[in-house]
Amino acid sequence: MTNNGTRWALLGVGTATAVGVGRVVARRRRRHQPDRQDGWYVVRRAVTVDRPRDAVIGFWTDRERLDRALGEWATLDQLDERRWRCVARDPSGGGTEWRAEITVDEPGALRWRVEDTSTPQEGRIELTDAPQGRGTEIRAELRYRSGPVRRLFGLVGGDEPDLALRDTLRRVKALVECGQVIDTRSDPSGRSPAQERATDRMREKLMTGGRA
Amino acid sequence: MRALCWEGVGKLAVRDVPDPKIRAEGDLIVRVRASSVCGSDLHLINGYLPAMREGDILGHEFMGEVVEVGPGVRQHRVGDRVVVGSVVACGGCWYCRTEQYSLCDNSNPQPVFTEKLWGHSPAGILGYSHAAGGYAGSHAEYIRVPFGDVGAFGVPEGVPDDSVVFASDAMPTGWMAADFCGLTGGEVVAVWGAGGVGQMAARSAQLLGAERVIMIDRFPDRLATAAERVGVETINYAETDVLEALRELTGGRGPDACIEAVGMESHDVGPTYAYDRVKQSARLQTDRPTSVRQAIMACRKGGTVSIVGVYAGLIDKFPLGAAMNKALVLRMGQMHAQRYIPMLLDRLAAGEIDPGYLATHPIPLEQGARGYELFEKKQDGCLRSVLHP
Ligand SMILES: NC(=O)c1ccc[n+]([C@@H]2O[C@H](COP(=O)([O-])OP(=O)(O)OC[C@H]3O[C@@H](n4cnc5c(N)ncnc54)[C@H](O)[C@@H]3O)[C@@H](O)[C@H]2O)c1
Ligand SMILES: [Zn+2]
Ligand SMILES: [Zn+2]
Repeated sequence: MTNNGTRWALLGVGTATAVGVGRVVARRRRRHQPDRQDGWYVVRRAVTVDRPRDAVIGFWTDRERLDRALGEWATLDQLDERRWRCVARDPSGGGTEWRAEITVDEPGALRWRVEDTSTPQEGRIELTDAPQGRGTEIRAELRYRSGPVRRLFGLVGGDEPDLALRDTLRRVKALVECGQVIDTRSDPSGRSPAQERATDRMREKLMTGGRA
Repeated sequence: MRALCWEGVGKLAVRDVPDPKIRAEGDLIVRVRASSVCGSDLHLINGYLPAMREGDILGHEFMGEVVEVGPGVRQHRVGDRVVVGSVVACGGCWYCRTEQYSLCDNSNPQPVFTEKLWGHSPAGILGYSHAAGGYAGSHAEYIRVPFGDVGAFGVPEGVPDDSVVFASDAMPTGWMAADFCGLTGGEVVAVWGAGGVGQMAARSAQLLGAERVIMIDRFPDRLATAAERVGVETINYAETDVLEALRELTGGRGPDACIEAVGMESHDVGPTYAYDRVKQSARLQTDRPTSVRQAIMACRKGGTVSIVGVYAGLIDKFPLGAAMNKALVLRMGQMHAQRYIPMLLDRLAAGEIDPGYLATHPIPLEQGARGYELFEKKQDGCLRSVLHP
């Protein structure tokens, strides 16, 4: 595989891992029903990162940085030239795991498939140049299966993949653009522990998702 | 540490809270030396921007001393005296790189509220509710400043704390208001609101070339201070018909630019005001827009209306027809602190602007609630209370 291919694989692995992390970590709110196609729910989300395409890919060549950004949540193993396996887990415990296999199709395009059969999931990511030299659009498409009862109770594998995807794209953008994802959850306040927990629940709702 | 917390609509109290800690590489911890009240806080305290939680620490206009730096900080060292812009900006997104810092993409970690309300989320703001990121504010002994290299600026020696503190918010807001007007020299500018922001806007308009500045408010002491310190002409809207007075004062043309530095709790006399209050309390409109309406009606044909008073939601009876048919330019926004602060510090050091007189009420942090009461009711000639932890 070319050098670019490796870098691209790392980007994809990172992104897919972050999706997994989003899925296992956060409590999600339910949203409107996504589109359905041949029995799959389909969501498409995009974010613009203010860096040229090579820089977006290049950010992830630094394996150390990638591990620092995502490492405590996930392990990555290269299976062969084009395929990777990632296992994401909830860093605060609970034993939730998410396994995916990632395949690099070409530099700038990859797809992944979730292995655990309870929530079949497939995803695709493509990078395109944004107009006016405004950087790179990361476009993601996620397909997942889930019965109506599971959806009703918000049980799509424990949360909502669409929200996890949006959250992830935002995290990736922030990491590439400014090297950190801002968090104000442990800022001081005059709240009691119980009030703080209630506020944290509200914060989480305001942190994930966004425009429907 | 001690901090001034919001405890419910209209209620403030000083509480013991945990000290802030470095959380990210670029963070600074600043020991607050001066932290000012601002008109924006009133909108939060009074519940017009309904994203406050009990226990939130208020305050976003402040200066102090660096006591701890994150491992990634390059521009500051422990012991530095700094002023910090209210708006949090990452420095690396497209908006930051084009100096539109208050539109930063990455500094509001809780963007869902404003994305739903406004379509997109602007930058986070310190001490400014969960709509602006849920950051702890500066009415406290210490504060964590994220992206310290982007948001904090070393203060020139010899400029007192109670003067330089306004480089955090009132000065850049006033400057941006005047900057929006696109002045080329010789214009007549009208400014609604003789608070700290309006007065800084008036001074900035002069520095940018305005020949005359006319200021509108109803508090005689504020108008008198503005006349004396900045050299503006004044209109008291409680006594005078503003539109008529402005036409008169400009030979029938109307001001070339109109700056609105009042915001959504705008006050008025007469039946429309009663109508606005009723609608606002029933939440049929969220904001009272008296002064914006006036600014649009008063502005000369083809002129500019520059809005820095804060609005949050919907308004009623917006004279779009006047704006459209008079071909007005409308500019507005939260200020881009980081764009203007270095230039303003130079002007402060050179004595071109001296905002120190705004600090009419220096007050210990412990009396913070009293400081807000004086400020809100405009009692005792209070322009701004500045809290000292
Ligand atoms: N855009 C920004 O980034 C930014 C930054 C800081 C403050 N602000 C906003 O600027 C506004 C002013 O802030 P401030 O600290 O000077 O507040 P302030 O309360 O000290 O001053 C507001 C003044 O407006 C006057 N006023 C009320 N109704 C009026 C009317 N109909 N016509 C004329 N004047 C009227 C009041 O009497 C008062 O003197 C607030 O809305 C605040 O939220 C915006
Ligand atoms: Zn302010
Ligand atoms: Zn930014």
